Amino acid sequence: MFNTLMQAFSLISTWEVIIAMLAASVYGLVIGSLPGLSATMATALLVPVTFYLSPIAAIAVIVAASTMAIFSGDIPGALLRIPGTPASAAYADEAYAMTRKGEAELALGAGVWFSAVGGIAGTLSLMILAPPLAEIALSFSTFEYFWLAFLGLMCATLVARSSPVKAIASMFIGLLVACVGIENPGGVPRFTFGVTDLFGGIEPIPALVGVFAVAQVMRAMLTPEPPPIPRRKFGSILAGQWTLTKKYHWQMTRGNIIGIIIGVLPGAGADMAAWVSYAMSKRFSKEPEKFGTGHVEGLVEAGASNNASIASGWVPSLLFGIPGDTIAAIAIGVLYMKGLNPGPTLFTEKASSMYAIYLMFIIANILMIPLGIVMIRLAAFVLRAPRSSVMPVIMLCCAVGSFAIGNNTFGVVTVATFGVIGYVMEENGYPVAAMVLGIVMGTMVEQAFVTSLIKSDGSILPFFERPIAAILAAMAIGALMWPVLVWIGRRLKRPSPAPAE
Amino acid sequence: MRLPDSVTGLFLVGLGAAAAYGGWQLPPVPGQPVGPNVFPLVIGSGLALCGLAIAFGIGRTFEEEEEIIPVEGEKPKPQSKLYGLRALLPPALLLFYVAVAERVGFIITAAIIVFVTSTALGARWRLALPLAVLAPIVVHLIFSKLLRVPLPIGLLPMPW
Repeated sequence: MFNTLMQAFSLISTWEVIIAMLAASVYGLVIGSLPGLSATMATALLVPVTFYLSPIAAIAVIVAASTMAIFSGDIPGALLRIPGTPASAAYADEAYAMTRKGEAELALGAGVWFSAVGGIAGTLSLMILAPPLAEIALSFSTFEYFWLAFLGLMCATLVARSSPVKAIASMFIGLLVACVGIENPGGVPRFTFGVTDLFGGIEPIPALVGVFAVAQVMRAMLTPEPPPIPRRKFGSILAGQWTLTKKYHWQMTRGNIIGIIIGVLPGAGADMAAWVSYAMSKRFSKEPEKFGTGHVEGLVEAGASNNASIASGWVPSLLFGIPGDTIAAIAIGVLYMKGLNPGPTLFTEKASSMYAIYLMFIIANILMIPLGIVMIRLAAFVLRAPRSSVMPVIMLCCAVGSFAIGNNTFGVVTVATFGVIGYVMEENGYPVAAMVLGIVMGTMVEQAFVTSLIKSDGSILPFFERPIAAILAAMAIGALMWPVLVWIGRRLKRPSPAPAE
Repeated sequence: MRLPDSVTGLFLVGLGAAAAYGGWQLPPVPGQPVGPNVFPLVIGSGLALCGLAIAFGIGRTFEEEEEIIPVEGEKPKPQSKLYGLRALLPPALLLFYVAVAERVGFIITAAIIVFVTSTALGARWRLALPLAVLAPIVVHLIFSKLLRVPLPIGLLPMPW
C-alpha cells in the first residue's frame, strides 16, 4: 500500500499534471462564477483538451475544474443573488441576504471553507467505499450489472425535479440515442439511415457539449443580461470560519454525509445535494425562523454537501461505469479514452492511478482555499465581463472542441443537433440529465441485458435467482413503482374533479 | 418553445413506435433467440407508453416544484413571435461553420460566428469587432498550435 501511494505521488508530481491542475482550477473558478455557465458545461468543454494530455493529467483537469466550479458558483449567488451554477441555487437567497446585512465576507468565507471541507469528506468516502465495493463487484455477473444499471437509471428519474414520467421518457430517449451505430450484439448498422457518420454511433461527449453548452447559449439569446456587480472592498475572508466550524460541526457533518449519499446515487449531483441539505438544515435547525434572513447555518450545511457529492459521484463511475452525476458522466468518457476503463479490476490493476485520483481530489480541495480567496477578491472584475463577450467564445470552443474529438465535422453537427434537443427538452420540463445518463449507459445496459438473456435462453427467471441480483431487482422495481404509488396516494387523498381519462 | 404536453407526448409515442418497428425489422443473429432487435423494441415500447402517459397528463402534479429554481431571474415578455427564433441562432451558426469552414478557413468563419453571437447578445460595435478579431486568433493558437487540432486553413493562413 505504501508503495502504491509513493507511485501515485510520483504520478502526480510531474510538471504536466501540476500545470494542468492549476490552469484547470483557474478556469473552473472563472466559468463557475459566471452566471449561466454550469460546472458540467465547464467540464464538458475541457474534454477536447484532455485528448492531448497524459491520463493522469487529463483526470487532474476534470477533478480540479469541477471542484472549483461548484464552489465559485457561490460567489455571484452571494453578491448578486444569481447562482453561478445550479448547485448554488439552493442557498443564493440566503447568501445574498447576508451580503445585504454586511456579512458578505462571512457568507463567501463559509462557501470556500465548507466547500473545501466537504470536498475532502467526499474524497475520504471515495477512498473508503470504493475498494470494498470493488471486492463485492468482482463477483458480479451480467445479471447484477443489468439490475445495477437499471437501478441507476431509475434513480436518475426519481430525483429529477420534474415529472417522473417525463424523466423516464428522457432516459428512454437517451437509451435510444445509444442504440445508433453498429456497436450492438448483432454488429448490424442500426438506426443509421445509410449515413456513414452514424455507423460509429453518437459520441456521448459532443452530445453532452450540445445539451449543456449550446443549449445554454440558446437560452441566453432569450433572457436578459444579469446586472453588473457593485464594486466593494472585502475584509478578511476566513475570519470566523473556525468558530462556525465548531458551532455548526454537526450540521457540517450531516451536510457531508447527505452530499456523499446523493453523490453516490446515479444521476443525482451537486445541485440536488445542496437542495436536500438546505431543506434538511432548516427542518432540524434550532432557529428555523432565521432562515432566509441571512443566517449562515444553511449555507454551512449545503456548502459542505454539494462539494462532498462531487468526489463521491466518482464511486459508481469508477466501479461500474455508472455516472454518479453529469460531471462524472463526462469523467467516464475521459476514463475510457485514456484506457482506464471503469470496472472493479481498476482498483487492483491500476491501484496507483486510483490513489493518484484520491490525492488530486485532496489537493484540489486544499488549493481551493487560497485560489478561492483570490477569486472572491477579483470577482468584481471577472463578473464585469459581459455575456456578449463570453458566449461567443463558448460557441467557438463548442465548434472547435467537437471537431477535435474525431477530427471530422460530424461532431459539430452532433453538437448543434443536441443543442436544439436539449433546449426543447428543458423548455418543456424534460430533464436533460436523465437523457445524458441514458446516452452514457446505453451500450452497457444493452450488453448486460442481451448477454443475460442469451445466457438464460430467453427466460426471465435467472434475472432473480442470484441473491444480489434479487436484492437489486427488488430495489429497482421498488424505485419504478414509487412514483406510481405516490400518484395513487395523492389521488386517493384528494379526489380530483376532472379525471384524466 | 413551450409546447403543450399532448404535443410532446404524442411525438414521443410516434418516436417510440418508430424505434420499436425499426428494431423489429433488424435481422436476427442466426441461431440465437436475442439479437440487436430486442433492445430497441423494449425501449421503443417504453417510450411510447411514457408518451401516452404524458399526453394524458399523468404525473403532471410533480412538476410544480420546477418553477422555483431562480437560475436566471425573471423571464421577459417575448416581444414578438419571431423573438423566440433567436434561440435557433447558435445551432444555425454551428451548421454554418460545418458548411463553410473547409473552404473559407477557420479564422474567418470563427470571426463571423463571434461577431454575430456577440451582436445578437447586445454588444456594441466597439466590443464585438475587436472580439471577433482576437477570439478566433487565441482559440486557433490554443487548439491548432498547442493541441495540434488540424483546423482548416482556408483563405487566411496564420503565420504559425
